Amino acid sequence: MNLMAEILLNVLIAFFIGSLLFGLQRKVMARIQMRPGPPIIQHLLHTLKFFIKETVFPKTAAMPFYVVITLILMAIWVAAVIIGPVTHGPLLLLFAIFAIHKIVEHNAGSSSGSPYGKLSCVRAVFSAAAELPLFAVLIIIYLKTGTMDLAGIIAYQDAHGALLLSIPLTALMFIVLIISKSYYFSPFNITLAKDIISGFETEHFGTLRGFIMMSESITWYMLVWIFLTVFIGGLSPIGYLIGMVIVTAVIGLINAITPILNPNHSVMAEVTLAFIGIVGSIAMIYI
Amino acid sequence: MDNHLYLIYILSFVIGSILGLLLSYKKYSEPFIINKIDVLALIMAIIGWVLALNAQLIPAIPEFITVTVGVFLFAMVFGMRPGYGRYETVIGFAVAGIIWILRTVLL
Repeated sequence: MNLMAEILLNVLIAFFIGSLLFGLQRKVMARIQMRPGPPIIQHLLHTLKFFIKETVFPKTAAMPFYVVITLILMAIWVAAVIIGPVTHGPLLLLFAIFAIHKIVEHNAGSSSGSPYGKLSCVRAVFSAAAELPLFAVLIIIYLKTGTMDLAGIIAYQDAHGALLLSIPLTALMFIVLIISKSYYFSPFNITLAKDIISGFETEHFGTLRGFIMMSESITWYMLVWIFLTVFIGGLSPIGYLIGMVIVTAVIGLINAITPILNPNHSVMAEVTLAFIGIVGSIAMIYI
Repeated sequence: MDNHLYLIYILSFVIGSILGLLLSYKKYSEPFIINKIDVLALIMAIIGWVLALNAQLIPAIPEFITVTVGVFLFAMVFGMRPGYGRYETVIGFAVAGIIWILRTVLL
């Protein structure tokens, strides 16, 4: 199969699976709260609905940045799919995409002119401190495996067993990162917390909102995909699907039973967990 | 499994779920019922799960077609409006699971 077809297939798979996983997350949370919950496909339908809604532009929007930022968000996550499932490229580039994602959150919030967007924009800068686990994960994986290439990490795990078992605290740090990016009622996701309505997304309507939601579905798929690949190893599609369902269900459980933290507590909790993870992991490697 | 087959199964699941959701809203006007099993949904769930998990039982038909049809059928029940189709899905999955164990482990 040629490269373009492979990319298109993987992006579509990431979008559909990511959307269904968000639906599953809502379902798990609803069942814990003794509600029947929405159907699994609700998030997907919600995303598709925006593509047939009218797109309006606020008077306060900073054009053309307001429009372009949604396309940049989409582009970086399509790039992540190319680096990840399609080519098994360098992990360093994937983490660079996470850093760009933070900048996009910041700019999407500020470009609309909405006060909720601006608060989300400020929180995006503030929560950059909580990206510490991300870089720690990267360094510890390099110390352990001697490579930052996804193909190399998979090969290392084939020879030495899953990294989840040898550096579990690093895996825990990555789980904290996944929780911080989860869409529904995450204790750490301060940029999309409900006290600021929908954060940086609040003033994006119609097709633009559809693109943002589509990107978020791909983001979720990629986060869980990276976790499974880096800490368990290369799996079959069915293995990935089962792993993604388990991780999403666990995150749904965590989101359902934890309070939504305020920005200070959220960042400090993440940094504390990162500190425990870094010290613990380095101790486990060298002692 | 090739990626294009994987995408076909996902699309089959999504289309089945949407159809199941629409039809179940037409069929049931109450928001939620408990302890009543819809026989038609049960038959669809059992056939769907059995086909999806045990496609090798029908060698005359290519496996991906059997799995696609199976996924479509069980998704129609799985995707019914909230509260409906849960018991049928569990029973269908259990029956298909027992057949899968009999086929692959015991026989």
